Amino acid sequence: MAGKIKQLIDQIVEKRSNGNPAIAKVTKTKLVLKGVNPDNFTSTSADDAQIISKVRQIASELGVVL
Amino acid sequence: MTVATASSSLKQVNKAISEIQCQLSSTQPKMVVYFASTIYNQRTLSAAMKKAFPESVVFGCTTAGEIVSGKMLKQSIVAMAFGKDIIEDVVVEVVPNIKENGDMGSAFAKFESYYNTAMQDADPGKYVGLVLFDGLSCAEERLMDKLGDYTDVTFIGGSAGDDLKFTTTYVFANGKAYNDAALLALIKPGCKFDIIKTQSFCSLGKKLVATKVDENTRTVFEFDGKPAAIAYAEAIGQDIKALPKYFMQHPLGLMVDGEPFVRSPQQVKDDSVVFYCNVKEGMELEVLQSKGIVQETINALKKKETEMGTLKALINFNCILRTLQLDSEGMADEYGQVFAKVPTVGFSTYGEAYIGHINQTATMLVFA
Repeated sequence: MAGKIKQLIDQIVEKRSNGNPAIAKVTKTKLVLKGVNPDNFTSTSADDAQIISKVRQIASELGVVL
Repeated sequence: MTVATASSSLKQVNKAISEIQCQLSSTQPKMVVYFASTIYNQRTLSAAMKKAFPESVVFGCTTAGEIVSGKMLKQSIVAMAFGKDIIEDVVVEVVPNIKENGDMGSAFAKFESYYNTAMQDADPGKYVGLVLFDGLSCAEERLMDKLGDYTDVTFIGGSAGDDLKFTTTYVFANGKAYNDAALLALIKPGCKFDIIKTQSFCSLGKKLVATKVDENTRTVFEFDGKPAAIAYAEAIGQDIKALPKYFMQHPLGLMVDGEPFVRSPQQVKDDSVVFYCNVKEGMELEVLQSKGIVQETINALKKKETEMGTLKALINFNCILRTLQLDSEGMADEYGQVFAKVPTVGFSTYGEAYIGHINQTATMLVFA
């Protein structure tokens, strides 16, 4: 399976920013500083369970329900 | 006048504050921000500054050098008074015990009550935050991370210094001096505002991935599976013994949209590298090359003035490593002159705050 990480990241950015591009940019920076770089994941990236768990943890910290 | 700056190099705290008060006497400030050397008694200083400006919200911190319009100073106090047209409203909270925990819940509850707005919903286009840390707390990453979780409002600032003694730093608020604490100021500006982040580096195009780290001690044990110091030295083409000499010139950058969030190495320890801010396992960092600080700062200011118009006020959080580099190159006066035409106050920090904790950077809050 592939693409799950990008899908989750996109959801976090979309839900947190509510369509505000400035907040979306800052949210991506927060993800990078938390250790997950959105640019490193595409729709073909393998579904690494450890990274998926980390992304879910970040969503929780940011108050985003996935 | 809606903004005024002041400075004093008098060594007696009460005389210095009288001089500051005199220089700011034409304003009726809503907010007074000040930064001071540790040559002054911190408790006396904080109490006296509050007494000098009883109608204003007064806060600041200790420094490793001070900045005021046109000048970089040492062993002085600098201050800026902001009128209501610049600062419509401001509230300050102190977060204690940051080394251990630093729970910001109480501060945020007070912000929400004061502005009657949930922090999660606070509009980052209407509010901006300042944050000052005890610069020896090593708590900055944790607290900036939590701040970013709580709110989309931008908090910008720096870590207090102590004139390079590395013993105790203080933040000032409510007429008191605090260590092991962070100060949060939530500002509702009365005019346009924005952030400048400038770090005067370009990428060498070489990458290092942190494969074994201890975040708590800001130590990287391995890059790319090799002892960190060996991999780092190889990346810059130098012998491991010479590596520390190249730290200032070649720090590492966590790249976001092509812009580095700088991680500055502090020392080599048993083939590991200790940094001034933390590096997480798996982080991909680029090796950076230093460029001219003065010219890059001029460019950053010009760009912002093109976007915003004439700047009415600027608060500069300038990394002590930049100040040391400027001093060693004999460029400190020129750097001060960059801010000659903009009302400016600032200090040399033990770390800068913008979304996260960063190094070898100047973060600035500007009003126009």
